[in-house]
Amino acid sequence: MLRLTLKGLLAHKLRVALTALAIVLGVTFVTGTLVLTDTLNNTFTTLFSKIYSNVDFEVRGVAAFADQQGAGAVRQPISDTLLPKVAAVPGVAASEGLVGGYAQFVDKHGKAITTGGAPTLGTTFGDKPELSALHPVSGHGPTGPTEVAMDEGTAKKYHFAVGDRVKVLLPGPPETFTISGIVRFGSADNLGGATLAAFTLPTAQKLFHVEGRVDTIEVATASGADKAAVERDIAKILPKGVEVVSAQKVADEQSSAINDALGFFSTALLVFALISLFVGGFTILNTFSITVGQRTRELALLRIVGASRGQVFRSVMLEALVIGLLASLVGLGLGVAMAVGLEALLKAFGISLPEGALIFAPRTVVVGLVVGVGVTVVSAVSPARRAVRIAPIAALQGVQAGTEGNSLRRTVVGAGFGLLGAAALTIGLTAPQISLVGLGAFLIFIGVGMLSPLVARPMSSVLGRPLARLRGVPGRLGRQNSMRSPRRTAQTAAALMVGLALVSTIAVFGASLSKSATSSVSDAIAADYIVMASSQGGPPSGFSASATQTAAGLPGVAVASPIYAGQAKIAKSVTFIGGIAPKDVGSTVTLRMDQGDGPAALAAGDLLVDTTTATRDKLHVGQRLPVTFAETGPTTLRIGGIFKPNIILGSYLVSRTTFIRHFAESTLPIVLLIKTSSPATPAMTTELTKGLASYPNLTVQTRAEYEKTQEAQVNQLLGLVYALLALAIVVALIGIVNTLMLSVFERTREIGLLRAVGMSRRQVRTMIRSEAVILSVFGAVIGIVVGTGLGIALVTSLKEQGFTDLVVPWGNMIVFLVLAGLLGLIAASWPARRAAKLNILEAIATE
Amino acid sequence: MTMTDTIDGGASPTGRPAAAAVELVKTYGTGDATVQALDGVTLEFAAGRFTAVMGPSGSGKSTLMHCMAGLDTPTAGRAFIGDAEIGSLDDKALTQLRRDKVGFIFQAFNLVPTLTARENITLPVDLAGGKVDEDWLRQVTDQLRITERLGHRPSEMSGGQQQRVACARALVTRPDLIFADEPTGNLDSNSSTEVLEFLRRSVTEFGQSIVMVTHDARGAAFADRVVFLADGRLVDELEDPTPDAILEKMKKLGG
Repeated sequence: MLRLTLKGLLAHKLRVALTALAIVLGVTFVTGTLVLTDTLNNTFTTLFSKIYSNVDFEVRGVAAFADQQGAGAVRQPISDTLLPKVAAVPGVAASEGLVGGYAQFVDKHGKAITTGGAPTLGTTFGDKPELSALHPVSGHGPTGPTEVAMDEGTAKKYHFAVGDRVKVLLPGPPETFTISGIVRFGSADNLGGATLAAFTLPTAQKLFHVEGRVDTIEVATASGADKAAVERDIAKILPKGVEVVSAQKVADEQSSAINDALGFFSTALLVFALISLFVGGFTILNTFSITVGQRTRELALLRIVGASRGQVFRSVMLEALVIGLLASLVGLGLGVAMAVGLEALLKAFGISLPEGALIFAPRTVVVGLVVGVGVTVVSAVSPARRAVRIAPIAALQGVQAGTEGNSLRRTVVGAGFGLLGAAALTIGLTAPQISLVGLGAFLIFIGVGMLSPLVARPMSSVLGRPLARLRGVPGRLGRQNSMRSPRRTAQTAAALMVGLALVSTIAVFGASLSKSATSSVSDAIAADYIVMASSQGGPPSGFSASATQTAAGLPGVAVASPIYAGQAKIAKSVTFIGGIAPKDVGSTVTLRMDQGDGPAALAAGDLLVDTTTATRDKLHVGQRLPVTFAETGPTTLRIGGIFKPNIILGSYLVSRTTFIRHFAESTLPIVLLIKTSSPATPAMTTELTKGLASYPNLTVQTRAEYEKTQEAQVNQLLGLVYALLALAIVVALIGIVNTLMLSVFERTREIGLLRAVGMSRRQVRTMIRSEAVILSVFGAVIGIVVGTGLGIALVTSLKEQGFTDLVVPWGNMIVFLVLAGLLGLIAASWPARRAAKLNILEAIATE
Repeated sequence: MTMTDTIDGGASPTGRPAAAAVELVKTYGTGDATVQALDGVTLEFAAGRFTAVMGPSGSGKSTLMHCMAGLDTPTAGRAFIGDAEIGSLDDKALTQLRRDKVGFIFQAFNLVPTLTARENITLPVDLAGGKVDEDWLRQVTDQLRITERLGHRPSEMSGGQQQRVACARALVTRPDLIFADEPTGNLDSNSSTEVLEFLRRSVTEFGQSIVMVTHDARGAAFADRVVFLADGRLVDELEDPTPDAILEKMKKLGG
């Protein structure tokens, strides 16, 4: 039986290859993602341990609280009077204080150097080279208040050399420094795309507003010293709130912070890989169904000569196993290539990554094989069961392949899946529980896939009517072919259905998000201008607080109100808290209150929360919430009011006075709202831009421009998601190619007959293409209907989260429909060519 | 019995052959495996006549028909349908020729399963984008007694009915020539007779030209003329044959 299966596979190399391809793509994506993130993980881990390789211990403030991920804790600086004390501890060979903060270079053309999301770091260049992670490659470290050392990556890219003057944006007003040296960070010319400006310790303390204090003290022990004893001795002299930890621990913390971020990236990519595998599963199911149908006689003959039901079942499953295994192995190989390609792509985008070996973990192999083989084998179960049901007598009867009708059982099971999915979706959306939402969508797709044969015949008939009219007999034949086997049509279309359903869901989600964002901009902001630091699509970064004074002094500016944001622990979770001047509410920010008087409550030092949070946490006015600040420690704040969600303010809000009282002086504003004495004009915009020219990282936007930016950001994100979903669509197209090839093969005689009675090659191609277009448009219609439904459900459930507007982008849907038809044409081109090339005589002679 | 390779087309009402072959050669395979299916056949099929082609299995009768109908390309020699030399036509012209000038009736699987009987019959006209001659269609389907079944699909018809639909399709364009390849091979004797009688009538009444490949002496007896093939060569012929005369000849050929 094994040999028979393998021989069968060899005899149908093309079909096997096409079927496998559907799985290959998914496994490639899975493997590529895993290899890439493992590799990045490893390089960052190595990098951090290298940076701390000269250091044994770090003295630092105890974390006030950790953020959601548990890493990247917020710590207070410590007094620099500890420096001589630590240095005096026996066994300490060297120690130095470090200070870090915001410092952004300005290039030679006056433009702020941005990093695409990576931080722009300011730090100290220690006078103890044996401790430092920074190594000058030319020049030397900074020696006075006018000198700065620049990372090699920035220097190379923006053509800076030792001795050049460079402007640096800082928490305070920008200053110009002389480059004393170019440095490397560990072994890399920069750190994951971050830029680095290193100052002397006193300069850094002044620039970052931490005079008399340092963030950390790095310690190296003398060779031969008992490290544990040194650590104990250091700990003894430290005041409360200061701790000493091993350098290894610090390195681990920092790499785990990066690895967490990578983990999110990896999960997101894996989701898309799994979607394409799911779509691939439909293709497998369909291919096996068709081939089992075509092999009815052969399988029945096997039964006649004595094969048991189990043997028939196993032979089909074995075929799936072999295909799945082949596909997974190819996918593993291609996945490694993809990881290499992606890494190169990241580098091409200017994200410099430290060099490191490609990590091909055993886990990657296991996951790739399990997922690839698993999907293939599971998808083949239903066709294999159908093969088992073939009666031996079928060998003697002329069985027309692929004309089975709709079974009641299938309908019931399909409806069951659909209802179960809808239930899971509802619970998932209200909980909210993202994995339940995913499961719900998955079950709905299966349910719809099982039910769609019911509508396949009438829908193909309707969809094919215009084709039949336009393309004459070939169009009519294409239409009838697509109606011939509703199950096959539905299964083929199901793959495309899933892809288009997701695309439509995202389209509804995106359009609603876009609309909600823009309408919430006009709801949230009363200011004429919004000034923010350009972050090239990354998270909004802070900017110099002194920009506020500069702006306020410009002619025509009525109010310049900065909005601050910082992390604090409120109740049990670490979250952002915003700060704004109460008097500016109304003139720059629109605060719609649900309960309480906003400005009055803010002025009284109370906390405001938005309705989403209040509903979620069951908060009410007058309640006191425990809040922990990094600088000032635990306290309680009274809830003075509840406001409707505001796009620019976040969930928690206090007055600027309260904010400044609890946050470090170096905390930066993230938005500057400007109310002008007359409405925004291009002249005013130019005036403001000129006035703020000394802060080249700032962009001045009118409210209308800001709305557009918000919209553009949403669209950019959508574009990315569409691109990733394209993978699933490609897999679905492979499925259509496969089905059409099998159909052409199955109808060889019929095509031969048509050719004999006068059908031209072109007409044969038109016939196959018509069928493909009907198939794909059918899948697209169902997908768009299901996806729009999912999108509406999703947006409705997010109403409280600020999705105020529900938009169904019908124009986009029509574009999707037309695109699906075009993709069908592309999928048909190869099968159509093959059908047209059939030798008439041989075709007629085919059994 | 020896025959000259050139055989007169016999009395032709129009005096012009519907189809002709000149020194037609067809070989399959290469080297030791070479099979000489046609070994220089020259003949004419008269217009307005019913010609049967007979011969033992492997005599080349089907190959002759395929080459003359433009379904297969001869290795050497020339084949004509009317004035058109088939070898000089490209695929497009050949398609057009099959659609407009030639009708086909095969042994089995003659109909497109997704189309109704009527759609099957008008297929060549529809493919050409032409208009169906409804009177003619009616006349043919009445003759074949399938007018009542025109709305049915092949799967709802008996084998005999299906073959009669195929006959109607072959006739609908009023082609210069109908090629029938063992048209009764899959039918019971009643259905066979019905089909053969119709073919005979369409020659007599409508002046249709028909070439029928068969190995059935009773069927061949419906023809005006029978030509005999053996080993890829034309070996004999009979005018106004009777079944007995045909059987006699076949016996001589060792068939």
